[in-house]
Amino acid sequence: MGPLISQGYINPEWNFVIALLLGVAFGYILEASGFSSSRRLAGVFYGYDFVVLRVFMTAVMVAMIGLVYFDYMNWIDISQIFILPTFLTSVIVGGVIMGLGFIMGGYCPGTSFTGVAIGKLDAVFFTAGLFLGIFIFSSAFPLIEGIYYGGELGPVTVMDTFGISRGLFAFLFIVATISAFILVSWIQKRVTKNEV
Amino acid sequence: MNKTYYFLIILILTLGIGALFFPEKSYIKEISPELLFYKMNNPSRFVTTDQVAKLIIESDPTLFLIDTRSSDQYGSFSLPGAMNIPLDELVDSIGIICPKWIDYLDIEGMKVIFFSNSDVIADQVWVICTRHELDNLYVMRGGLNTWAETILMPQKPSEYSPDEEFALYDFRRGACQYFVGGSISIKSDVVADQVPRVRRKKKTVVAGGC
Repeated sequence: MGPLISQGYINPEWNFVIALLLGVAFGYILEASGFSSSRRLAGVFYGYDFVVLRVFMTAVMVAMIGLVYFDYMNWIDISQIFILPTFLTSVIVGGVIMGLGFIMGGYCPGTSFTGVAIGKLDAVFFTAGLFLGIFIFSSAFPLIEGIYYGGELGPVTVMDTFGISRGLFAFLFIVATISAFILVSWIQKRVTKNEV
Repeated sequence: MNKTYYFLIILILTLGIGALFFPEKSYIKEISPELLFYKMNNPSRFVTTDQVAKLIIESDPTLFLIDTRSSDQYGSFSLPGAMNIPLDELVDSIGIICPKWIDYLDIEGMKVIFFSNSDVIADQVWVICTRHELDNLYVMRGGLNTWAETILMPQKPSEYSPDEEFALYDFRRGACQYFVGGSISIKSDVVADQVPRVRRKKKTVVAGGC
């Protein structure tokens, strides 16, 4: 049955409308979960609040297990789902820059907009810096094009690379995520106890 | 920790354990509906019975004939060298071509020609295979019914027909002899022009010397 757009059940012209509705819902849930607070987001780096890790890893886990079960039930053709190609160099360099920006500014790009939506001054400055960064990146693109397209691996997946089944990967990911939740709970308890 | 968290952990772990036992699916990429529609409207996939007969007679190594009728019909009569892939055995329950047939249908450089009694079933097989991104597929126009009419029992054209029709008739009679056997003699109506004989004078031995 799915994906609904590529299978022709929904007209591709609805793509942007659906994206807008999902974006609004995503922003609302981010704000409602407290992701508009830079102190809360930065807590993951200092060990006093791991809500970012819990929320995002839970979302990944639920979406992943949902896709595996939908595929088993033939409700979705998983081979038609778009897989982003991997550019190893830009992923590593971009990840380091994004991590530094996150720890310094207290926001990631998506959460900074939720901060702007409720009028947070630090989020406004962060978003201004974000657009400045986009401008610099676009202007300097010919110089960094080699890094941007470096280490292209194509649309690779962990399953293809290691030759394991989708179900086994899902199970291992769930075990790793739950282990991470238990570990961060222990870290959080120790950090908050020391602060008190 | 809240009891709800324990419940959620057990639930997601159970679902994860269940996922371990799911069978692996093999996916075959499909062409877009627009491209399939375009190819379906293109009649270049059809080959005539005469073209098929010529390829068989010439023992074309790139020819691969596939009989899409039932195995019973295939057992009673088929074209020489044809393989039987019935329509109802081609795809599995979810409409994907069975992997055992892919090896036969996806040979690089081979011309795969489907045929059935008419060309309806063969054309359905062509659509299914083309949808699964397989190339070099053709359908024998009219199927075995047209094969019987044109190759096995060719009709003599009227005497006012153009030369091409007579040439085709001669080819069909020859093909009929090839496939059925027997002793059909091909008699050409073309009368050879009389070549005038030129008598040359006998060379005489040179008499005398310089």
